[in-house]
Amino acid sequence: MEFSKSEPAKEDEQLGSTLEFKNISKYFPGVVALDDICFQAHSGEVLAFLGENGAGKSTLLKVLNGDYQPDKGQYLLDGVEKHFRTPHEAIEEGISVIYQERQILMELSVAENIYLGRMPANKMGVINIRQANKMAQKIISDFGLPISPQTKVKDLSIAYQQMVEIMKAYSRENLKVICFDEPTASLSDSEIQCLFDIIRKLKREDKIIIYVSHRMDELREITDKTAVFKDGRYVTTVANGEVSEKELIKMMVGRDLGDVYKNLDRDKTIGDVLLEVKNVSSDYVKENSFQLRRGEVLGFSGLVGAGRTELMRAIIGADHMRTGEVFLEGKKILNRSPKDAMDNGIVLVPEDRKMQGILANLSVKGNINISMLDQNSNQFGIMDPGKEEKTAAQGIQEFRIKTPSPDKKILELSGGNQQKCIVARWIATNPKVLILDEPTKGIDVGAKSEFYSMICAFAKQGLGVILISSELPEVIGLSDRIIIMKSLKIVGEVSHAEATEDRILSMSMIGGDNIHE
Amino acid sequence: MNEATKEKEGKSFLHSMVRAVGGEKLVLMGAIVVVFILFSSINKNFFSLTNIINLLVAASLVGLVAIGHTYLIIAAQNDLSPGSLAAFSGTLCALLVSLHIPFLPSILITLAAAAMVGLFNAAMVNKIKLDPFIATLVTQAILRGFAYIICDGKPVPISDPAFLYLGKARFLQIPVSVWIMIIAFVVFGFILAKTKFGRSIYAIGGNKDAARLAGLNPQKIITICFVMMGLFCGIGGIVFAARMNSGQPAANINLEFDAITAVILGGVSFTGGVGTMGGTVLGIILIQAFNTGLIMVNVPSFWQYVARGALLLFALTSDYLRKEKRRKNLLAASMKNA
Repeated sequence: MEFSKSEPAKEDEQLGSTLEFKNISKYFPGVVALDDICFQAHSGEVLAFLGENGAGKSTLLKVLNGDYQPDKGQYLLDGVEKHFRTPHEAIEEGISVIYQERQILMELSVAENIYLGRMPANKMGVINIRQANKMAQKIISDFGLPISPQTKVKDLSIAYQQMVEIMKAYSRENLKVICFDEPTASLSDSEIQCLFDIIRKLKREDKIIIYVSHRMDELREITDKTAVFKDGRYVTTVANGEVSEKELIKMMVGRDLGDVYKNLDRDKTIGDVLLEVKNVSSDYVKENSFQLRRGEVLGFSGLVGAGRTELMRAIIGADHMRTGEVFLEGKKILNRSPKDAMDNGIVLVPEDRKMQGILANLSVKGNINISMLDQNSNQFGIMDPGKEEKTAAQGIQEFRIKTPSPDKKILELSGGNQQKCIVARWIATNPKVLILDEPTKGIDVGAKSEFYSMICAFAKQGLGVILISSELPEVIGLSDRIIIMKSLKIVGEVSHAEATEDRILSMSMIGGDNIHE
Repeated sequence: MNEATKEKEGKSFLHSMVRAVGGEKLVLMGAIVVVFILFSSINKNFFSLTNIINLLVAASLVGLVAIGHTYLIIAAQNDLSPGSLAAFSGTLCALLVSLHIPFLPSILITLAAAAMVGLFNAAMVNKIKLDPFIATLVTQAILRGFAYIICDGKPVPISDPAFLYLGKARFLQIPVSVWIMIIAFVVFGFILAKTKFGRSIYAIGGNKDAARLAGLNPQKIITICFVMMGLFCGIGGIVFAARMNSGQPAANINLEFDAITAVILGGVSFTGGVGTMGGTVLGIILIQAFNTGLIMVNVPSFWQYVARGALLLFALTSDYLRKEKRRKNLLAASMKNA
């Protein structure tokens, strides 16, 4: 495919506007979300934002549309510094973001959505719906779409719903900047072409267009320049065709984790069956069965929504188990709640650290100790402060948790260290099965490799480790076996030796193992 | 560690005092002193032993309820039914005694009923997932209704000597109602700060989902808190009736209002997970001094409502400011670590 250069950039036009971020930083407790971000975008140009998950793209968009206020740096529109306090203020100044999740009202018509909050009305405030339909029809014709302004949005396909959002932004006369957040995620090929036509139209009309995606072929086709982000930092901006895709990926990943996996001290002796799951289903997953052996790292791969987390939640009793049986060391167990699972020796480090892992109001010590209340108290339920100190100190030492003191609030720690506290919490209970759900999500590279060594060490100690991860290199690099789930069911299994990214990806998308077909 | 603290202590007496007691509590103590000086300067009788004992007696019911609220609000719950439940309990117990049921069984029946109300509140929150504010608004209305229904709207006079003695008895010059409050503060302060149950309350108030995944049982803990509150209202209501010599179905309106104000003033965060019993004690003293003082300096009763509302607004604002401060400190600390 050729790089699209058919659209001449009209840089020297009077209408031309610019958007510039100078040294923008944004902090959250425990995280530097954006660190010194710089970029420039010009009208009549499509600028891509490229970066891995957690690179800071979505935070950046939220700063851009006024949802977040930067803690440092300058936000310049046409050279004037802006301080948007709300998305509304940004929209008023001509900045619109089209998100992945639709921001439209399903029960309203196309026209009502386009002119939401600014419907044409007479002096008394009575809305003139005919006028609105007429105006909407003009935009729809402009866009060349076969839909009616009176159709309810819920009756439209996802692609057209997205178009309604774009038209809503477009209908504002002062629209200057329009950002697309992974706009093609749920579109078919022909729909993507339709979207691109509209982006080209916006480009001809001298809008600034920002396009967030990690689909390389799309970037090649529709964008002019690419700004690369990594771990909340700005890397560089390259013009289309300036560097190869491989180089782009390298810039965006910025490291080669291959060696990290190779050098891991993996457990080579795998023991007898530790955990057996038979036909387990819940409201959220279909019937699934698998086995986990002592000393084994069992990877779970699959697309988001494949049911990996939900299967684990059913096993530990976080969700109600509808059917099926769970055997631990050959004995049947029943987990009605995570507490039962903990008492049986099965523990889960949840995916969403902030919402399901940490207790934000408590200290590091309080967080590590929360699952040890029984062990660290006497028969009257009175806590033994000495034992609590000891549990915390052990966890901090064993997992090298970087904290000035055990009494510091957990939120003061970096994401990786917060996650280590959760792991320390569970290891203190001396479990047999450790389930890690996306344990390295949103933590920095250094902490990631520490986690990898930790996981191998757990397996060596004879624990059964279940590792759910959406990062293919991670799940391949660490697991002895990988189970693949699709649409709430286990669809296949590959061994460490046979595992390749292509194979796992095709199994998670298509279902069967087409390699053998 | 020890050397570091010694060094700090050496720095200044004031500094170490702030560290020991906590800055927020010192502010609260200061406010109490100011209130006492202010009202005493207007009415000489304010700072007399009799008045202080009266003040503590008046605080005894709201004090018990505030203990319940301390637990519930730290657990990110709330309860608007205590006023109705206390009036219902006092009336019920007086009624049972007037029906010639002996005093002790009457107390037990009343407390069982009050505990059931707590269970009912917990069931609404746990099983039909109602917001505790709205759920307990239901019981507030229903119980007030029942308080009137059981006695046909008329106060129930008490003639039983044992019951009346409960309202009059003193130990070391201090009335029984005050002793009950003091003992309850000590016992439940200890439980909150030092036990497994206390730790669980902070955890579920901070993050219920995470606490459940960490092996706690939030529904059970919430149920216990509501039942405790029911019992506090039951005990408080019975003692209140004894002091009034009758069961009063119309009594204790706005009881929860004062208790919640005191708890928030004392540093319990309205969003849960943060606070101490010591703070609540100070909050109770402050609000009771404030309320009694308003009466003693002859502020018209209509204006007392306005003043109470203003005090609650002040408490909530200071809660907000504390939260903002914590957030800023956290941000500063995490920027330093990053």
